[in-house]
Amino acid sequence: MTATSPSTPAARRARKAPADQVSPHLYGLRRTTTLAINLLAIAFALFILGPLVWLAFSATKSQAEIYDSFGFWFAGPFRLWHNLSALGQNVSGTGIFVHWLGNTLLYAIAGAVGATVLSALAGYGFSRYRFRGANTLFLVVMATLLVPLTAIALPLFLFYSKVGLVNSIWGMILPSMVSPIGIYLMRTFIDASVPKELIEAARLDGASELWIFWRIGLPLAFPGLMTVLLISIVAIWNNYFLPLIIFSKSGLYPLTVGLSAISQAAETGTKAELVPVLITGGLVTVVPLIALFLLLERYFRGGMLQGSVTG
Amino acid sequence: MSQQLIHPPALGAVGDDRAGGSKRPQRRRSASSRRESRRERAGAAFIAPHMLMLGLFMLVPTVYAVYSSLFATKLIGGRQWVGLENYRTVLHSSEFWSGVVRVLVFGAIQVPLTLAIAFGFAALFDAGVIRGSRFLRTIYFMPFAVPGVVASVMWSFLLLPGFGSYAKALDRLGLGHVDFFSSRLILPTIMLIVIWEWTGYNMTILYTSLKSIPKEVTEAAIMEGASLWRIIVHIKLPMVMPSIVMLVFLNAVGALQLFTEPSILASFQPQAVSFGFTPTLFVYHTAVGSGEYELGAAAAVILALIIGALSVAGFAVRRRNGEFR
Repeated sequence: MTATSPSTPAARRARKAPADQVSPHLYGLRRTTTLAINLLAIAFALFILGPLVWLAFSATKSQAEIYDSFGFWFAGPFRLWHNLSALGQNVSGTGIFVHWLGNTLLYAIAGAVGATVLSALAGYGFSRYRFRGANTLFLVVMATLLVPLTAIALPLFLFYSKVGLVNSIWGMILPSMVSPIGIYLMRTFIDASVPKELIEAARLDGASELWIFWRIGLPLAFPGLMTVLLISIVAIWNNYFLPLIIFSKSGLYPLTVGLSAISQAAETGTKAELVPVLITGGLVTVVPLIALFLLLERYFRGGMLQGSVTG
Repeated sequence: MSQQLIHPPALGAVGDDRAGGSKRPQRRRSASSRRESRRERAGAAFIAPHMLMLGLFMLVPTVYAVYSSLFATKLIGGRQWVGLENYRTVLHSSEFWSGVVRVLVFGAIQVPLTLAIAFGFAALFDAGVIRGSRFLRTIYFMPFAVPGVVASVMWSFLLLPGFGSYAKALDRLGLGHVDFFSSRLILPTIMLIVIWEWTGYNMTILYTSLKSIPKEVTEAAIMEGASLWRIIVHIKLPMVMPSIVMLVFLNAVGALQLFTEPSILASFQPQAVSFGFTPTLFVYHTAVGSGEYELGAAAAVILALIIGALSVAGFAVRRRNGEFR
């Protein structure tokens, strides 16, 4: 943008293009075409940001202002702190938001750590060992990729009512540890980053298999571990169907089920202060994950392939 | 690091590495085979914890659900064997089939639309013709971190007839009073929400896939005078087809299990979403709402079979295309 840069925008862009990319000016696009493409991209960004911006502004408003004022700016007194404090109360008997936040943290962290440990072990096993049935078992794991948790939530519930896991935190945490995509990612990652020669060398030195996994495999696979941990946290944090089916006590709800309970009470009930709780609660549900995502984006990008889409 | 991770799981490619390995010359049999069997046990031990959990929390419940679906709980006499009666009831329920048809229509429109937008932006980002590419790509991907429940709540408020910011804006633009929750528009409204949620995710996968195409391919096409449009549609699109096929799968399986969005919209406008609006809602309402767990289990099994059949059909296509070896 300053006088030192090359004169035409095309040349400037050409210089900026990374080594693995063709300079965009070579396509010979007309200026108006480029402009239209850029405006389209910005329009889509606004489409994505719109609801999130609305959520942030609405969390500072009272119920009446949420309905009546312009959605994308402040209105009336700044009530964010007041709205946040309402999250600590049981506004109309649906349950207490901060408990749900605590539950979600517990389920997400315990489940994701479990999923990461199991995926690391299994991914390493599939990647660095040959044993009878390995192929078949791996295909079984990959087949479960196409059967997201949604499909087996009811079967799980029926099974839980037999073994006494209904309304138990373990009913939520244990199945969350089964992560076919985690195994796929760990396997691919270990294939690429843990050299076989290194393992062989350690074996010749008399190291045990577990020691090799712990001191050689895991450190080299660290970025993969982060990816699996993060996508598992997101998947569990956002899970709705399973906790909806297996929990009937509001004290055990995670945020998603709690918010849906509030939204039902807010729209069908008459309690005045529920809509701000719903919206502020939504903001508090989203902020930690977006922050985590922005801070650790490169790890998320490593694990784009999450098991389920919608649900 | 991410490059190899993002590649679609070529489900069949697994064997390649191993097939090569088993052809190793078998020298010094006794000592090495003893070591080999110790390693075999170690390999099995590494995957055992996950397999145990998979069995306990996926296979056993599924088998138990199939078993339960053969019973019915009667007011008098408790649980009774009814054979395939529950399956007959579900298969004869027009409510269930209308839900199946609805998600098929939903998927047939939403999946291509999502992938078209995702691929379009991925290709333009890849060509480098969009300014602030990194920043915009991060924004596009953000809904991945937003739970479906929250996304549905936000969109419900924005589209609420008479109150929602977007509904009001349309009114003011002279497009009239649009009721996004009406029986005619509820499905497009849900599509809008799902597209908002998943386009960025699909775009990110396709972008990474496009990045792996060597620069020389594009350069050669430019030399021959191909336009950007031609390069994207006729050269790059065929090259990322395997990723697109995989995404069609993942998106379609998701669409068939549509649940969160309609169930949240229903709390805003209860009349907009019927008992069996989607098959998963049918399962939920039958089992949890009406307490007919066995009937719900039968519906869940049928839904799983439908999804399974579509997946197998998809695999057959992939195998024919030579992607599944």
